[in-house]
Amino acid sequence: MQAEIIKQIKFGIFSQEQIKKLSVAKLTVPDTYNEDGYPIDGGLLDQRLGVIDPGLVCKTCGGRAKTCPGHFGHIELVRPVIHSEFAKIINMLLQATCQKCHRILLNNEQIGVFREEIAAEIATENPAPENNGEKHAEQDMLKRLKSVKKCPHCQTVQEKLKFSMPTYFYLGERRLKPDEIRDMLAKISDEDLVIIGVDPRTSRPEALILNTLLVPPVDVRPSITLETGERSEDDLTHKLVDIMRINQRLEQNINAGAPQIIIDDLWELLQYHVTTYFNNETSGIPPARHRSGRALKTIAQRLKGKEGRFRYNLSGKRVNYSARTVISVDPAIDVDEVGVPRAIAEKLTVPFYVTEWNLEAAKKLLEKAEYPMVVNIVGLDGKRKRILDTNKEDLLKEIKPGYILERQLQDGDIALFNRQPSLHRISIMAHRVKVLPGKTFRITYPATAPYNADFDGDEMNLHIPQTLEAQAEAKYLMAVQNQIFSPRDGNVIIANGEDGVIGLYLLTQDDTRLEKGEAECLLGAAGIREMPKAERDGTYSGKRVFSMLLPKGLDFEVEKFKIKNSELVEGVVNKKMYGSGGSNKLFAAMAMQCGLDALSEFLAMSSRLAYAYSTLYGVTIGVKDYMPTEEMRKEKEALITETEAKVRDLISQYKSKKLEPLLGMTLRQSLEQTIMVELDLARGKAIQMLNRDTDQANFAMLMATSGARANILNMEQMSMFLGQQASREGGRIKRGYYTNRVVPHIARNDTSAEARGFVKSSFLDGLSPIEMLMHAVGGRGTVIQKGLLTQRSGYLQRRLANALQDYYVLHDNSVRDVNNNVIETIYGGDGLDPTRVGFAKERKEKE
Amino acid sequence: MSMAKDHEYNVQAGEPVGVVAAQSLGEPGTQMVLRTFHMTGVAATAIATSGLPRIIELLDAKKMPSSPLMRIRLKESYAKSFAKADEAAKKISEIKMSSVMRHIVENFSKGKILVVLNTQSLQAADLTARPIAARLGKELGVEAKVGEHGNIIVSTHTKNLKEVRAITVKITKAIVNGIEGAGRAMVVQDKNGDFYIESAGSNIEPVMQVEGVDPEKIYTNDLFSMYRVFGIEAARNTLALELRKTLEDQDISVNDRHISLIADAMTSGGTLQSIGRHGLVGKKESVFARAAFEETVKHLINAAAFGEVDHMRGVTENILVGKQIPLGTGSVKLVIKSKESKKK
Repeated sequence: MQAEIIKQIKFGIFSQEQIKKLSVAKLTVPDTYNEDGYPIDGGLLDQRLGVIDPGLVCKTCGGRAKTCPGHFGHIELVRPVIHSEFAKIINMLLQATCQKCHRILLNNEQIGVFREEIAAEIATENPAPENNGEKHAEQDMLKRLKSVKKCPHCQTVQEKLKFSMPTYFYLGERRLKPDEIRDMLAKISDEDLVIIGVDPRTSRPEALILNTLLVPPVDVRPSITLETGERSEDDLTHKLVDIMRINQRLEQNINAGAPQIIIDDLWELLQYHVTTYFNNETSGIPPARHRSGRALKTIAQRLKGKEGRFRYNLSGKRVNYSARTVISVDPAIDVDEVGVPRAIAEKLTVPFYVTEWNLEAAKKLLEKAEYPMVVNIVGLDGKRKRILDTNKEDLLKEIKPGYILERQLQDGDIALFNRQPSLHRISIMAHRVKVLPGKTFRITYPATAPYNADFDGDEMNLHIPQTLEAQAEAKYLMAVQNQIFSPRDGNVIIANGEDGVIGLYLLTQDDTRLEKGEAECLLGAAGIREMPKAERDGTYSGKRVFSMLLPKGLDFEVEKFKIKNSELVEGVVNKKMYGSGGSNKLFAAMAMQCGLDALSEFLAMSSRLAYAYSTLYGVTIGVKDYMPTEEMRKEKEALITETEAKVRDLISQYKSKKLEPLLGMTLRQSLEQTIMVELDLARGKAIQMLNRDTDQANFAMLMATSGARANILNMEQMSMFLGQQASREGGRIKRGYYTNRVVPHIARNDTSAEARGFVKSSFLDGLSPIEMLMHAVGGRGTVIQKGLLTQRSGYLQRRLANALQDYYVLHDNSVRDVNNNVIETIYGGDGLDPTRVGFAKERKEKE
Repeated sequence: MSMAKDHEYNVQAGEPVGVVAAQSLGEPGTQMVLRTFHMTGVAATAIATSGLPRIIELLDAKKMPSSPLMRIRLKESYAKSFAKADEAAKKISEIKMSSVMRHIVENFSKGKILVVLNTQSLQAADLTARPIAARLGKELGVEAKVGEHGNIIVSTHTKNLKEVRAITVKITKAIVNGIEGAGRAMVVQDKNGDFYIESAGSNIEPVMQVEGVDPEKIYTNDLFSMYRVFGIEAARNTLALELRKTLEDQDISVNDRHISLIADAMTSGGTLQSIGRHGLVGKKESVFARAAFEETVKHLINAAAFGEVDHMRGVTENILVGKQIPLGTGSVKLVIKSKESKKK
């Protein structure tokens, strides 16, 4: 419940009078504590400004450290200074107004035009968007006013006004002092300010010249006590002390009738301190430093940047009811579950809202003394109490509707699970809690894809939604089942891979026959308690066993793969139709015909079946799977020799200028291009050889063909040869040592395959030293690229999100921003949801 | 019932499609290749900015792409004959003096400049000295003649050292053939056997004037040219097309709806606006939204000086103050008739 809803926030500048009204104390002593360690009255930690020490009482509101919100004070400056952050605006205002009569430098006719425009703007229903900062149409006009030579109102010729960063103004040759500027600004009329775009009710410009300085409460700049008992003041306090010291010295000098030069110097120094108090990174002046030499963090630094108030504390908030630990895999739980360690489940709580209808249940819950028990109780006053053996009896009597019991986390509760970096919305999904022994969070393999998680030490965060609304939203919008199709392209993202694919691939082969016992074991592992029809010989076909998992009423057909009435009649399950990616059309059909929950259940069951069959079959892999036969080895050697000869031939053709240049390329480029093509071809041939000569029961091959993991190229690199290594420039590797060679061991101008990064050894054989270097060149390139890429794309992501975050779809399918401007008349041209385009297509085909 | 079915697969009201689009383009960013060059296809277009740098360039709405490209379709009679198409391409293809010149000699006492041409490169570009001299004379307003050995002699009519040198510099920078900025143009044949021109540069206005060019069928990957010549809708389509092409090149599948939304967002103001502090974000209504993005202090100071109001309508503003955001389930409000209004 929101007690007060902020409807709008108006910005403005405090006038001198407002500052004095707001202030509870005029500060006069440029110091903090006295010898006894008590705050000095009139000092910067005056007790009227609030208290931060636990023992003291605020002299303004009577509150203690925790209850006193802090109060503003003020310093009266003996000479006014310019608020340096506003110097540009002061300059703009001075340029736009007459130096004598202080009217805006527009003639009455022009003023009329602007008045009309402003009136029209106010008359529109939605004046806000145009009413802000840089967007003022008037801004252009203001720039032109700089060149107005003569005031249209009093005919005074305008002198040249010069502004020099950070706070110097000159009229002709004469320096304008802050008090003069103040007088000039004060004489600009409210009417003229409106034309310039300034709201005079809240932003009278003379307030930009400071006579009084608002001092923030101590809560904003708390002092810290070190172990040694020494006090260390906040940077802002330090800065304020500086200001007050100089202010005091300036006053003494003025009163003593010191020469003007000395006064001006001190005045200048006061300006410096006030400037750095607001922004210690003001260009043109050296930053104020701490005794240690560290630049002070003043007001602007507190707000700015990634670690500033806005991005660190306001846009990003810290939460309770959350947990973080290492993740690991658990094939036994469901895809939409998350395994939560018992220790964490005991710490995290879920609210139980007591009503008149569940009062009995609440009491029963409260009585419990072990694990899923109530930890805290929140009374009608909103105060949270810990439940102890001593107060339990009383609470049992006291409890009534409106109370909230905070119960330990238990199976079936809704939790949000997240892994950083949260690059897309499915980086946070809702899971059902499953409390398990151990110390890690557990998820299934299919659920790793959207998080981009693996189990090499990744940690993830768990959040427990605390209101019923939040729980409902999580359950119905963020649940894992609802995220099977990626919002990016509508393709399947939550799907099986690795053992999950290879198991089903083997199981659904045409010739797979299982004994009764085996079939029972497998189906039992999947969670099925019925048996399919046996073949005539009493065995069970793998396809039929698999079909037992298919939800009822499913018909599906793609090329060479057919499911009829929930029975796999033709085809083999592989990554293509069962894994993630656009080629998986099975899931969309299943989701459409049987629902997302059925799909999710199928995913969990089929993984378990697959793991069981992988185990039963004995899927294993070893070096021997990558060993080429003697014939293959010989053929490979021949291939390499042939390729090298071809490259040599191309080079000699190039040297004798016989080479045909490719369209639009120089001869040199053509040579490189043809060599690259030739070398690529060699790799292609090697892959063909592997495909042809490898035993189909070879697990490395099986892995690639089923799509479980890796591809044929990985196998080729292990058993045949690595092939051409790429340089960062994109072509073959040619630099490293001077005179255009990679290492001194290569002859000058040698452009042969070997000399430019062609690796003819396989990982199994091992690389020669030069080959290894070539490989490392490629590897290093990848590493450098990755670092650069994450940086660039991270910033792109932030910019995109900030630019587009206000757009949403209205009931009429149009895309609007929050001010109701139309961005698209119909989302995507057809209003379809990207995650469900596949469904729409599927249905169209049916009709 | 049939109504419900029609809308079954529509986006749900309140869906924050902007954020989803942003994420859909941002998330695969790390999978993209940073590499600027890749070599495939027709040579003129082979060296092209691709992958993430190209995406960034597009979203920045840069004034000129780092590898501009034009695809120029020809009028019927030109498209059928290679000779005629090549004729048009020659008129477009940009050749700089520096690439056909061997060296340049100044004679300050006579106020003359001798340009020695490289016959080989002249031949390669199918050029002769005479048209180059003519063009130099016309464009620089000097007297240029073809002298012996096919060299060009430029008479400057001045003996002032500085002026002569200035002209020399102009000559070396001059374009001797084709259209400035058009880049190297080549004739390419499409699937139907029609010839068209691809050029590694972009300056479509003058290209449209070239004889044989179909002015309605020029494509450039330069968004601003498209905007200037064909209007904002064309710019939007170009932007979407270029984004789509770049992503496809990288084998990254992104639903078209996301790409469309980004293109629409960047162009819905009637001009091309970039994604970033100088574009869409910098022009947001909310002070807080701008301050939370970049240039925090600047936005707050301006807001104070002008007395701006933040109406708390956007996402960022509401998060800052801890309010529910006005999107998704937060976009609906519950209205209850009060007892008094019921009585009435």
